[in-house]
Amino acid sequence: MDNEFIIQQLKEKFPDKVLKIDTSSDMLMMEIAKNAICDVVLFLKNELNFIYLTSLCGVHYPEQALPLGVVYHLHNLQDNILLRLKVFLSDEDPHIDTCVEIFSAANWMERETFDFYGIIFDGHPNLIRILNVEYMDYHPMRKEYPLEDSTRTDKDDKFFGR
Amino acid sequence: MEPTIPLYNIAKEPEGYSAPGFFATKLDYVVGLARKNSIWPLPFATSCCGIEFMATMGAHYDLGRFGAERLSFSPRQADLLMVMGTIAKKMGPILHQVYEQMAEPRWVIAVGACAASGGVFDTYSVLQGIDLVVPVDVYVPGCPPRPEQIIDGFMLIQELAANEPLRRRYSPEYRELLASYGIK
Amino acid sequence: MQQFEAEHKIINPEDFEKNFSTLNLGPTHPATHGIFQNILTMNGETIEDAVQTIGYIHRAFEKIAEWRPYYQITPLTDRLNYCSAPINNLGWHMTVEKLLGIKSTKRIDYMRIIVMELARIADHLICNSVIGVDSGALTGFVYMFEKREMIYDIYEEICGARLTSNIGRIGGFDRDFTPSVIQKIRELLVELPKTINQFENLLMRNRIFMDRTINVGSISAERALNYSFSGPCLRAAGVDYDVRVMNPYSSYEDFDFTIPLGINGDTYDRFCVRQEEIKQSLHLIKSALENLPVGAYHMDVPEFYLPPKDKVYSEMESLIWHFKIVMGEINVPVGEVYHAVEGGNGELGFYLVSDGGRTPFRLHFRRPGFIYYQAFPEMIKGSVLSDAILTMSSMNVIAGELDA
Repeated sequence: MDNEFIIQQLKEKFPDKVLKIDTSSDMLMMEIAKNAICDVVLFLKNELNFIYLTSLCGVHYPEQALPLGVVYHLHNLQDNILLRLKVFLSDEDPHIDTCVEIFSAANWMERETFDFYGIIFDGHPNLIRILNVEYMDYHPMRKEYPLEDSTRTDKDDKFFGR
Repeated sequence: MEPTIPLYNIAKEPEGYSAPGFFATKLDYVVGLARKNSIWPLPFATSCCGIEFMATMGAHYDLGRFGAERLSFSPRQADLLMVMGTIAKKMGPILHQVYEQMAEPRWVIAVGACAASGGVFDTYSVLQGIDLVVPVDVYVPGCPPRPEQIIDGFMLIQELAANEPLRRRYSPEYRELLASYGIK
Repeated sequence: MQQFEAEHKIINPEDFEKNFSTLNLGPTHPATHGIFQNILTMNGETIEDAVQTIGYIHRAFEKIAEWRPYYQITPLTDRLNYCSAPINNLGWHMTVEKLLGIKSTKRIDYMRIIVMELARIADHLICNSVIGVDSGALTGFVYMFEKREMIYDIYEEICGARLTSNIGRIGGFDRDFTPSVIQKIRELLVELPKTINQFENLLMRNRIFMDRTINVGSISAERALNYSFSGPCLRAAGVDYDVRVMNPYSSYEDFDFTIPLGINGDTYDRFCVRQEEIKQSLHLIKSALENLPVGAYHMDVPEFYLPPKDKVYSEMESLIWHFKIVMGEINVPVGEVYHAVEGGNGELGFYLVSDGGRTPFRLHFRRPGFIYYQAFPEMIKGSVLSDAILTMSSMNVIAGELDA
């Protein structure tokens, strides 16, 4: 099995759901339509042996029309192929289907992505903040928020040359 | 004759007046001596510095030499709260509660840059120094501090314990300090 | 008399069996080695359910990484899995090198293998000795920690720090191995196996230890894969996935070593797999040291590798590079890269997105501990409380890695 075969299989099965294919980086990258991601992941798992969810994380491109991204890394342990799937979402409608039922490991990864970026995974059994405090009212990894806590009073900026 | 090395150390007797049959000294000194050499630490190890604390407790460095052989994992019986590692904002209230549960007299040592000041983690989720939630007696710098440094900080606590007047914990200044942290 | 009886609730044994109690384990519990909270629903001594809360030392690594130049991210990676910090450091350096498209020389690769395997030994020593402590055997801990200091001494010789090592640089090492480093490693290769034998004699075939650990916290290979386990925990379940073999980095393909596997995926198997991995790591260090090629200890990448200090004071070009590197004025190519190394706990991945700026646009750490710790409730369901503690320590969950 190689990248060509995977692309061909996916194009046959999901003709209009694979939006972009890029082989220039270190692994095959595909952009998938938002409503088809679960079907694609399930197909890859069952038919093409991508049984291992390596990672799932968010990414934020403020300049894009669809700024919020979810990046999946899948691993075919039999043929040793890594695959990167991307889905882009809009700010107004950051909803995407969960894949907890396909991979149990996705549970906390999705919660972390929700915590950091505010991406809502529909159907997730327990979508609450995982790393940050519950009462936090923003999603800190989005680019518009600063690194430091804006409410702090303990460090006087004039001593730090800011 | 070769000088013999004693197999064990006996704590030095405090200042006082002695004559055959009796020894008179201040009660403060005696209590201080006892407290100094039997401090029970509560290791509040959250991250990297905790591993260095494990090395400090190990055979090579052996904190037991200073009378701290017995780690007290229950705050009720602990004398010294050793905060080792980053304290996030989520953890702050828990630290405060642990301190509240400890009985007087109690000391706090902030081990490592994170506990002392937030360290390199000047971020939205990290408490910038534990002195925002509990009063601290000794700060040990380093990221992480070497076991020698932790022992040095511990010996400073011993000095504090030995020289503390008995009435300090009842003084209005001390009450005020606790009240400023919201501790009754 | 009638009234008195009515006031008191009469407990009959059947009700008693149905009443579940709630036990709050953590966040600061001596048996949890770090700060994780588990709210257990107990039926007597048996665990019915567990709810985990994590994030008590969330330090926002991924956010900091977006604000720091590349070389300043190395100290952050130290604090991920601080028991095996050099693996994280070198993994990050290799990720950046992969993005830049530079190929390291064999000498650097072999030096990296030596350092990474030392770190793996240090990591497994902590984990296994702590399993001993949690099952009531403190002696092994004292034995192992004495010898672990030898590894710290070697780190100190190489980079000057003990725990959070910040070892190496992007493009190689900051200095060569001195003769005393080589000598200390050789000493370790002689001394450590003796201690490991002692330790194994204490625990490996110890009736009490075996009773406490066999069939405790077991997980099947299928479930483990579904939970994306990696490292010793996955191999204990019988899946031979090791990044060092599957996707060799840093010339691991030059070496001949065995990947130990377990059968049941229980605590005892995890213990044995780690024990065997320590021996394999010693073997790897030995063969890397024997075949260590001569040559430079760093590559020629002036954009990232700081020039020698004496040249900074005497040569214009070196001064410019020094200034540019320290001020973070180096631009890197646009691109995306995922690089994984076999960390102490499993596949430690770095997903790096660069937009050509001075800092990463996005850096995601794939932290093995974070991913497999979520299987903990499933592994302890139906077992007793003391087994849950052992299961947790055998999973070697490190709080820094868990919460990032």
